[in-house]
Parts: sequence; C-alpha cells; structure tokens
Amino acid sequence: MNRISLLLCGITLGSVILTSSSHKNSNKIMAATTEENTLALVANGEDFVRQGFTSKDGWEINFDRVYVNFSNAVAYSTKSSFEPQKGDTKKSIDYQNKVDFLTEAQTTDLAAGNGEAKPILVSEVEVNTGFYNALSWKLDTAGGDSAIAGKTIALIGKAVKDGQTINFDLGFNNPTEYICGEFVGDERQGIVTADSPGQVEATLHFDHIFGDLDTPPEEALNQDALGFEPIAKLASNGTVNLDDTDLASQLSPKDYQKLTKAIAGLGHVGEGHCVINQQ
Amino acid sequence: MNRFYFLFALSLAIAVPKQVLAHGANIEYQETEAITIQAKYDDGKPMADAQVVIYAPSDRANPWSKGTTDKSGSFTFVPNTDPENIGDWDIKVRQSGHGDITSIPIKDGKLAVNQMNTGSLGADYTSAQKLVMAAAVGWGFIGTGLFFARSKSK
Repeated sequence: MNRISLLLCGITLGSVILTSSSHKNSNKIMAATTEENTLALVANGEDFVRQGFTSKDGWEINFDRVYVNFSNAVAYSTKSSFEPQKGDTKKSIDYQNKVDFLTEAQTTDLAAGNGEAKPILVSEVEVNTGFYNALSWKLDTAGGDSAIAGKTIALIGKAVKDGQTINFDLGFNNPTEYICGEFVGDERQGIVTADSPGQVEATLHFDHIFGDLDTPPEEALNQDALGFEPIAKLASNGTVNLDDTDLASQLSPKDYQKLTKAIAGLGHVGEGHCVINQQ
Repeated sequence: MNRFYFLFALSLAIAVPKQVLAHGANIEYQETEAITIQAKYDDGKPMADAQVVIYAPSDRANPWSKGTTDKSGSFTFVPNTDPENIGDWDIKVRQSGHGDITSIPIKDGKLAVNQMNTGSLGADYTSAQKLVMAAAVGWGFIGTGLFFARSKSK
C-alpha cells in the first residue's frame, strides 16, 4: 500500500511540476505578444467631401461642413477571419484584443482641412500588438453640446448647376450601427507591431446619396442614389435648410426611401461593405 | 544468344542519352491543390479584370502575390503550403472603388473543411504532460478496481 501511495504522490507531483512549467512557457508567449503601440481610428469622407464632386444629375457639390456623430467605436483583433457579409455577427466575434476608442460620443467634421487633407483622426489609443481586422461603430444622435445636437449627420455646403446656386443645410437623425470586417483599400490596415502603429478607418461614401457623374448611369451606385435635383426642387430663395421630418413630408415617398436607404448605407471600411444594424 | 542481343540492346537503350533538339518542346505536370475564386458584384455581375491581392499567413502586411481576374471574375492560384503558411490566406479583390476581402483556411496543404480552431485545448499541453495525464487517468481506473477488489475480499 505504501508503494501505491508513493506512486500516486509521484504522479501528482510530476503533474504539478509540468503544469507550472507550462504556465511559465505561456507567460513567455504572453510577454512576447503583449508589446504595445498605438492604434488610430480615422474617419474618411473621401475626396467627394474634401474636393467636391458632380452629382449624377449634374450638380457641382462642395461641402463646407460634413458632421457625423460617432459613438461606441470598437476594434477587434479576431482569432480567425471576421466577415460580417458572410454571416459573422458582433456577438460571434472571437477576439484576442478588443479596443474601445470612445468613452463618449464625438462629433467629427469630415470636411475639415483642404482638398488634400488626410482622413480625420477621431481617437488614438494604446493597444496590444496584433492585427485589428474588425471594426464596429455607431452614428448616434448628438447631444446638446454638439454642433449637430439632435442629429446623427449634417451636410452643409453649396450646389451649383447652370448658373443656379443652392446653399444647403441638411440634417438627418438615423442612428445606425455598422459592423465591419477588415479595411479594403490600397494598403492593408489595422496591423500594429512594436515598431509600427496601426490605423483603422470608418469610411463614409457620400456619393451613395447624390450619385456620381463620373460613374455610368446604369451602375447600381447611380441607380440607387437620390441625386441632388429632388432636393434642389425644395429650395426657397436659393436655400435648402431641411431636416428628416421636412424631407419626409416634402420629398416623394420613393425619393425619401432612396434617401434614407443611402444614408443608412454610408458606412464602409475603405471599399469594404459593412452590415447595418439600424437602431 | 538471343538473350545476349536482347540485353545488349537494352543496355544501349539505357546508356545512350536521348538526342536533344534545340527547338523541341516539353511539357511536364504535377498535381497541386489550386484554389479558384470567383468575384461578383452584389447584382451577380462578374468582377472582370479586377485587381487581386493575396496575403499569406506568414506575412499579413505584404502581398504574397498579385494578379487580375479573368472575364468571368475568376482567378486561380496555388498556395505555398510550407508550415509557416498554414492558416488563413486572405484574398482581396478590388475594382472601381468596390472591393472585398475573404479568408481561405489552409490546413496541411489543403483547404480546411472547417474553420481552424486556434483555441484547441490539446495544443496547450506538452507531450510529457499528456503522458502524465494519461498515466493518472489509467491509475485512476486501476485504483478504483483495486478498491472494489479489496472491498469484496473483506
């Protein structure tokens, strides 16, 4: 019986020693992967916002201000690929690192700077190194202190066609959450190493609202876009100053539906599409 | 004698090198695991002549290869199946401001049927640990058997 006890003690002791050595190894791996650097969240209205463009119906549009109210912006480095377009959901994200960019909502002007300005920095945080390949954020109703209180988006600028100028100030309140995979563009984004900071981007495609004269009219972008003409028809003394409620009552039901669908579909990650969760 | 001639002819056939023609053509082949993707727009239209960028698991930042889809939006490549490239191969397709990126899991040089389980329990233990655990489980059965055997004998 003493022999059996001795053998049992030996097995137990061996397990404890080997387990503790395994934990030491794990700690070494953790130490190697817990290096830090910064990850920036930028917002990009693209050249359409920075440089202006011509709508599908020929209005030259230039923005003075394009306000969007961001909240709940979170980046993840996932354990395997994350493709919300193929059924992955925010609940199903299996992540190694999760980063909250905003402690409170933040209104950002996408038209800030000149025509060559870089995307607007929304927030920058210290993160573990890794590949941040998933991003979600909300466009939320702005609070009382914001330049767009009570709205999620405001477009302020000027539209010109055939010598006619219309100053517009359009406000929308469509709280929407965007759940996105990795950025799709020239360079791969979201990679943070000890030597190199990373960046993730919330991209908003305003050509989806007004269309783009440089794109063939039969393409889905222009087929689905409202254009500017229906809004121009609502102008009074060269000015359009309308919010959601006004637009709902003054645009035709078909045009208003196009507009709300385009507003909801603004959010992208570069050229990559996001899944929309309207609040 | 006939056997001698046969062996002589055979040795000549083996020893004499084949004549090489400068303008000759030669096709060799080998079996590989190729991957074909097909890129389409939401309306089903193929992304013809679109830019393709491939990232291997061993280097997420820099393209492993680049190419262009054909008229039907298809593109075929043979992934490098070295051990460091086991994992998700990411394929990006872009055209005229539209784009998508998808991951293709490669395991043991082949397309993984299921997603790779990076959090598998077994991967956290060494061989020695597994051996000790197996011994402990085995001893548990023996100990239980001995316990009941002793109870019966009493």
